[in-house]
Amino acid sequence: MTVVVADPHEARIGSREAFNQARGLARRSIRGTLRQPQVWLPGLLFPMFIAAVNTSTMGKAIHFAPGFEGVPSLLAFLLPASITQSVLFGGLTAGSDTALDIQTGFFDRLLASPVSRTSILVGRLAGASATGAIQAVVFIVVYGIFGVRVAAGVPGMLLLVVFAMVLAIVIGGFAAMLALRTGSAEAVQNVFPLTFISLFISSAFFPTEAMTGAYQWIAERNPITWMIDGMRHQVIDGLDWSEGLTSIAIAVVLAVLAVYGANRALRTRLRRAS
Amino acid sequence: MTAAVGRPTAEPRSTSWLPVAWSLGKRSMVGILRVPAAVVPLVAMPMFFVIAFSGSFRSLSSLPSFPTDNIYNWFVPFAILQGAAFAGFGTGFSTVRDIEGGFYDRLLLSPGSRKPLFVGPIIAGIARCTFTLVVVLALGLALGAEPTDVVPGMLALWVAAVGVAVIATGWALGLVFRVPNQRSGPILQIGIFFAMFLSTGNTPLEDQVGWTRYIARINPLTPILAMARQGFLGHVEWDTTWPGLVAIVGSSAALWLFAVTGLKRLIP
Repeated sequence: MTVVVADPHEARIGSREAFNQARGLARRSIRGTLRQPQVWLPGLLFPMFIAAVNTSTMGKAIHFAPGFEGVPSLLAFLLPASITQSVLFGGLTAGSDTALDIQTGFFDRLLASPVSRTSILVGRLAGASATGAIQAVVFIVVYGIFGVRVAAGVPGMLLLVVFAMVLAIVIGGFAAMLALRTGSAEAVQNVFPLTFISLFISSAFFPTEAMTGAYQWIAERNPITWMIDGMRHQVIDGLDWSEGLTSIAIAVVLAVLAVYGANRALRTRLRRAS
Repeated sequence: MTAAVGRPTAEPRSTSWLPVAWSLGKRSMVGILRVPAAVVPLVAMPMFFVIAFSGSFRSLSSLPSFPTDNIYNWFVPFAILQGAAFAGFGTGFSTVRDIEGGFYDRLLLSPGSRKPLFVGPIIAGIARCTFTLVVVLALGLALGAEPTDVVPGMLALWVAAVGVAVIATGWALGLVFRVPNQRSGPILQIGIFFAMFLSTGNTPLEDQVGWTRYIARINPLTPILAMARQGFLGHVEWDTTWPGLVAIVGSSAALWLFAVTGLKRLIP
């Protein structure tokens, strides 16, 4: 009988050890982010500032524009969008950090050490996911101080947190894929305008019912709209498992694609390195 | 004994600072062609703002005090002024490159006037913002913007755009003289971003419901925006124009003083 081992390096490392390594790398990722306020602070403050300005300048729109039926305030409407925006920032940071690890040589040292290859990626994405959870909690608390109540209560808040965690894996995965392919933090950062555009052409800031023409057509077919609308349902209307889980399922599908892409990029880089 | 000094073989070079300022302005413009990424904030961002703001916030025209049914008429001048602000930001950033590359040291060591160091970036800022105006206006007209007072309106828009570019250039130079490295970039952007959005950029004062209303009321950009939008919301009138001009002159004076004092700090 022959046993086919895909990666002999992985086979030498037990799953328990690989888990511990991933946990250590995730901790490093979170600590690295927390140590650099200039990295995570804009990701929190920028979406809050946009929400505060929009609420003040466009708050009246909820009484006149279509699609705002039952919305208590524009700030409540914007809560899922702010979380998404913040996680987009954070996820890209995870990708940039991977690229920086490559640029500074830390990645090569990891490869030279007896660390599971998979845990390099898992650790980074787990760190991004944990950061996403923290971001969601911060937004729920801060917006709560300004009067936003999540209509779905604690289960709704949990759905928001889980959504943020999975979305962080999506963005972190795609960013890591780019980082592993290019090895350039600048290339990862250059993706930011694209994420910003896809967020804008969605229901993040205004409902799609208030749009017209091609813009509305694109916004209605943007996965960000599907995800945000499901989460918004929990904030505005109340607990709806079907809506919430649909949003998370879409995020999970994207996360699987992102992780698959990142894993392939990692294998390619490993092949090139060996 | 008297030393015989021969006649100079050539006429002394002109000491006028204007050709130097013109060359510096031209150099800054050529820099855009050499760094294509610089075109992104100058043109791509305002174009994106026109499309995204008009697309996402189209229903704002249903607000009670909104002065037009055509959302492009509201957002096209705003996007052009944003582009003008980024034009000023761009000249600041090319100055950072010159400082980091050592070119600025050579300029400071030269025995000529310091005026070109300020006038050059202004020339570049005006050229950049005019380019932005043409491109974004063409896009806006293609999408459906309908000027209501064409010639005076476009003139008011251009004057407003030039004014914003001059103000933003003063802000950018003042900052990069104090923080002469790439780290000044985010601060520059945040300053421009704050000024733009805490005004009547998105909605008229009467439709704002919260704290931004108080800031927008005293933000110099509010009368400049009103001046810029005249040709899209009705007829150009002196009553709407002069507050914009006063805001441009006042803000320019304050921020250019910031720039001049910044240069004094830069010189050891």
